[in-house]
Amino acid sequence: MPDPLLEIRGLELRYAGVPAVRGLDFRVGRGEVVGLVGPNGAGKTSTLLAIMGVVAPHKGEILHAGRSLAGLPTDAIVRSGVALVPEGRHIFPELTVDENLRLGLVGRRSRDRADEDVARVAELFPVVREDRDRPAGLLSGGQQQQLAIARALVAQPDLLLLDEPSLGLAPAVVDDVFDALAEIRESGVTILLVEQRAQFAVGFADRTHVLANGELRLTLTPADAQDTARITAAYFGS
Amino acid sequence: MKRLATGSQLLAPVLLLALVGVLGNFTSRSVQFQFRFALVMATIVIALYVFIGNSGVVSFGHVSFVAVGAFAAGLTTVPEALKLSLSPDLFPLIAGAEVGNAVSLVLAAAVGGAFAFLVGVPLMRLSGLSAGIATFAVLVITNNILRNWEAIGPGARTLSLVPETTSFLQATCGAIAVAVVAFAYQRSRFGRVLRASSDDAAAAQGAGIEIHRQRLLAFTLSGALAGFAGGLLVHLLGSITTQQVYLDLAFVTLAMLVIGGVRSLWGAVVGALLVSGVNSLLLTAEGGIGLGVGELNVPTGTRLVTLGVVMALILLFRPRGLTGGREVTLRLPR
Amino acid sequence: MTSALQTLIDATALGSIYALVAMGIGLVFGVMRLVNFAHGELITAGAYALALTNHLPLAVSLAACFAVVIGLVLAMDVAYRPLRTTTPTTMLVTTFAVSFLLQAVALLAFGARGQNVGVLPELNRAVSIGDVRVRWVTLVSIAVGAVLLGATAAVLGRTDIGLQMRAAAMDPRTAQLLGVRASTVIRFAFVMAGILAASATVLLTVQRPLVTPSYGFQLVIPALVGVVVGGMDRLVSATLGGFAIGFAAAVLGDVLPADGRVFLDTALFLLVILVLLVRPSGLFSRSRAAWERL
Repeated sequence: MPDPLLEIRGLELRYAGVPAVRGLDFRVGRGEVVGLVGPNGAGKTSTLLAIMGVVAPHKGEILHAGRSLAGLPTDAIVRSGVALVPEGRHIFPELTVDENLRLGLVGRRSRDRADEDVARVAELFPVVREDRDRPAGLLSGGQQQQLAIARALVAQPDLLLLDEPSLGLAPAVVDDVFDALAEIRESGVTILLVEQRAQFAVGFADRTHVLANGELRLTLTPADAQDTARITAAYFGS
Repeated sequence: MKRLATGSQLLAPVLLLALVGVLGNFTSRSVQFQFRFALVMATIVIALYVFIGNSGVVSFGHVSFVAVGAFAAGLTTVPEALKLSLSPDLFPLIAGAEVGNAVSLVLAAAVGGAFAFLVGVPLMRLSGLSAGIATFAVLVITNNILRNWEAIGPGARTLSLVPETTSFLQATCGAIAVAVVAFAYQRSRFGRVLRASSDDAAAAQGAGIEIHRQRLLAFTLSGALAGFAGGLLVHLLGSITTQQVYLDLAFVTLAMLVIGGVRSLWGAVVGALLVSGVNSLLLTAEGGIGLGVGELNVPTGTRLVTLGVVMALILLFRPRGLTGGREVTLRLPR
Repeated sequence: MTSALQTLIDATALGSIYALVAMGIGLVFGVMRLVNFAHGELITAGAYALALTNHLPLAVSLAACFAVVIGLVLAMDVAYRPLRTTTPTTMLVTTFAVSFLLQAVALLAFGARGQNVGVLPELNRAVSIGDVRVRWVTLVSIAVGAVLLGATAAVLGRTDIGLQMRAAAMDPRTAQLLGVRASTVIRFAFVMAGILAASATVLLTVQRPLVTPSYGFQLVIPALVGVVVGGMDRLVSATLGGFAIGFAAAVLGDVLPADGRVFLDTALFLLVILVLLVRPSGLFSRSRAAWERL
């Protein structure tokens, strides 16, 4: 793949000496949507946190548009165009929807055209338009998810990382979320999607990697979305 | 085999204390005072460690127990006439009491322990910052009462003419005795249970361990040891005032413990002796005139600044203390 | 009745000054989880600056006070960097060590005897409002206190940096993930704390013009206690706690009988212990909530 937007090479992550991720290799091309699935504790969230500079790799490299992210502080990584929608959303419940969104603007490279981007996400996510002054803690799960994604988008990322966006949401709501993600993909943003519920990722992403026990086991395409046997086998490591 | 191994963790602190005690004999008179003073400080810091090191809860109030111990030992070893001249309203019981040196030390420990128990019953439920503030409140209250209630002591005046019985032998043996008690406690079931529960309070409560009770035990024991140290202190200085056992002493002893390493007995001893040593060195460098009897050695002038800088630097760059909170195991020669 | 009103007004004034100090402590705690024992030394430094420049025009004197305090607070920002990842105990003892150190420096530089500030002595004159005689400084303290507290609330509630500070206090991990720079936010908190402390210093020195090396330390101890008693987790409760302590100290001072007055500290701190036993997370705190919208 020429000129990938994100490249993970030989990544090894450890917590208190115990390896959480081992020898992870994969690439995400510009404009692609890549999924990362696997059971709990497989190392998916750790990988995302490593990209964001929160966890320091024990070994291996993380490259964004060819530039190594090693040793960079999180705020520099955000400003270079990588945004994370964290697992569990982590919106600020005591702040209003508007304030939550404004926090996302902190990560922008420059203030130029911020209003345009805000207008765009307001178009995409009704909650931003309609509930501006509500404390975010009063929103439903689905609305909070919308807000979290909107917040990440206004930081002007070229690479959007999502950690389990379907977590705790009803299937109909998940559909709405993925519809929004489809529009985001169309606008040219590259997406790395982490999901525990494999079926959502596999059907949506161009490619989905299965991670189990810290290692990459298998790569699936949308065609495999119905092949639950294969997915299960990969999860449980045969 | 095992007993030998654990016993040898006590050796290092005891040997160091003994070393200081022996070496001090060979110095000049003014310096001798500093050595004995360092040993008494070590005693206080070990008492402090028994609670803070094992429970993980900060107490700013332990100097209150040193204070009551000092006054108890002091008031019972000076003549009645002196006491009444200082405070005519003194309770007859206190005015009339006159005991020997050894009894005064035991009394100091008893008073310290009783006071600690009294304070600990309500306070041991707290932890973290609330515990710190509450124990600080105890310190302020104790000082306020001692300073103003003239029925129990000399108030703001100096209690002097206390017999100076804290010889090298007493100071060293006192410090070693307290170290042995501290070690016995931390090795006992009670000490180990408290230490384990300080690392993970939720798990401990799940296992049915009553943290409150264990903390109270440690608090009371450390209060008794602190009281004993107070007795040694007053018999070293030959006098005592409330300001000598208040904020400055509270800060210095706590800093000594943190610098040495909060979680180990070795840390307590090393911290106390090292800081005392640095202070003495600075005193000598200043061309120091030996501290006269009756002057508590909270340094003045440049010494204070230097000591402050040293302490702040050590704390900023080695937050776990010089010993990292570890004990030192000395292997006995075979 | 009149003297009760008098007491209440005086208590409100003292409470306002303590509230300014408490708010400064609370701001730094919120973004850094650090209790700065040396906060009092900011006040001492400002007071000495005022004392040393009191022969110069008032504006210069005030400027010197603010400059010294803000300079010192920025130095603390840098000095405390290594502490960001240590335990609360170590933080407490280390900032105490810094406080000790700064007091020693003051002792060395200025001696123990104390200097007279003598700034704005006119404010000590009293004015009669109805039946009550109130000193100007009392009214000014309440007014300045209200204005500054309001201004701080406005900065926190309406500016971008204020939003970042609130977010960092509520959930530092997520704030970091959004690109909030901890260093920037912390520095800003320190500067705001410095401004509040300098203001408190000016008001305080009018009523207590004799500056000694432990001037600020003596003030910050009850203020700190007030912050913990009020509730460390929220800025509002921390500030209220500071106000409450100042208020309570003033009221107790007037209410206690003359020979009981020496036991003011005992009464105050017994109250503190009682509050901590009944509501350990703070008098005004609300369960686990972090900083709220102000």
